Amino acid sequence: MKPIQHDEELLALFKDPATKEQAFTDILKKYQERLYWHVRRMVINHDDADDVLQNMFIKVWKGLDNFREDSQLYTWLYRIATNESLTFLNQQKKRNAISLSDDENGLSNTIKSDTHFDANKLEWKLQLGIQSLPEKQRLVFNLRYYDEMPYEQMSRVLDTSEGALKASYHHAAKKIEEFILNH
Amino acid sequence: MERKLEILDELRTISPLLASMDKTNVFKIPDDYFQILDKRITANVLLKENKPHRIQEVPEGYFDQLAVKILSKIKGSKEEIKDISPVLFSLRDKNTFTVPAGYFENLYGSIFNKIGNEKAKVVSINSNKKWWRYAAAAAVAIVIMIGSLQLFNSRVTTGNNTQPVIVSANLPDYIKLSFRYKTPEQLENGIASLSDTDIVAYLEQHGDVLDDELISNSINTDELPNAVDYLLNDNTLNNFLKMTNAQMQNK
Repeated sequence: MKPIQHDEELLALFKDPATKEQAFTDILKKYQERLYWHVRRMVINHDDADDVLQNMFIKVWKGLDNFREDSQLYTWLYRIATNESLTFLNQQKKRNAISLSDDENGLSNTIKSDTHFDANKLEWKLQLGIQSLPEKQRLVFNLRYYDEMPYEQMSRVLDTSEGALKASYHHAAKKIEEFILNH
Repeated sequence: MERKLEILDELRTISPLLASMDKTNVFKIPDDYFQILDKRITANVLLKENKPHRIQEVPEGYFDQLAVKILSKIKGSKEEIKDISPVLFSLRDKNTFTVPAGYFENLYGSIFNKIGNEKAKVVSINSNKKWWRYAAAAAVAIVIMIGSLQLFNSRVTTGNNTQPVIVSANLPDYIKLSFRYKTPEQLENGIASLSDTDIVAYLEQHGDVLDDELISNSINTDELPNAVDYLLNDNTLNNFLKMTNAQMQNK
């Protein structure tokens, strides 16, 4: 099994035309699952997540040459994935001509329409609780709760101060708890 | 690990309920999704990467000249066969397929028949033979009358007597003798005495000239059926001819 390469090594290989494609494939393999789940938790539907991921990596391919090595590749990838997810959700809102709250209900409906959905199970209540949050709080909660991302990194991904992120996470967790207890 | 514990402690302080829950992943993905994901994305990325290059390869002004080029190719394709095979070029416009004689003339009728799902009725002129007989007789009478007038107007004065003279020695007997008919009764008797042979002989010689005039003079256009009527109803013309025939017999 191939040892996991460091980001610096992968970036150097990407800059060499002879190893560019291989380096890109290795970056993909290293981060694809984490990024997929980050996108999936935002857009809920698998096909939508797959589309967003494809578009995201096209942008990565185009932008990686200009990537500044003083920032972390991991953080940069998350930032692109987040922006692509939010762009997708905004496009969906415009397409369906529905309000933000309606869209959130739409995502909740997507969860409820899952063949395995069970309204009595705690894990499904948690998902519905997360979807009841505003977009930014949802992002913060997912990155902290599922991806266990430090506030310092999250601050670079979401371009928000660590203090604001802590407050946002706090509010999000409280709202979800309330949702679970009331449903 | 340390970070994990730190995050868990943080959550315990905010929501012990959430901290106690298992992080069960409720979302499902297709089997082997991640096994082929990198290949799919790489293929997609490279495909999109190549698209702009293809567009850049289009020569400058290509789209401006495109319509002209297509038109010249269309025109050129007609002449192309001339260079390849002069024989084929010369045969190009010759139609080797034939159609039965009168096909196109009768095409409308046959289509019309199929539409109407019945054979077109042919109006027989045999049943109206008498009508034509009277028409021909009337034509002869007109000519005789004209001839009579000409003869009466062509007179030679001999002493105190003015005698009508025959203008043409080539006129047939029934014309030459027409000066005898001085009253309408005499004229009618003269017409009645004409044989079928005389009438036919006259019409054969002068029928073409007289046809149009005869028809236009002998038919009252007010009584003619409308074109729409006889196109819609096959019996319209038959009924008109019968009516005309009856009227002439009553006169």
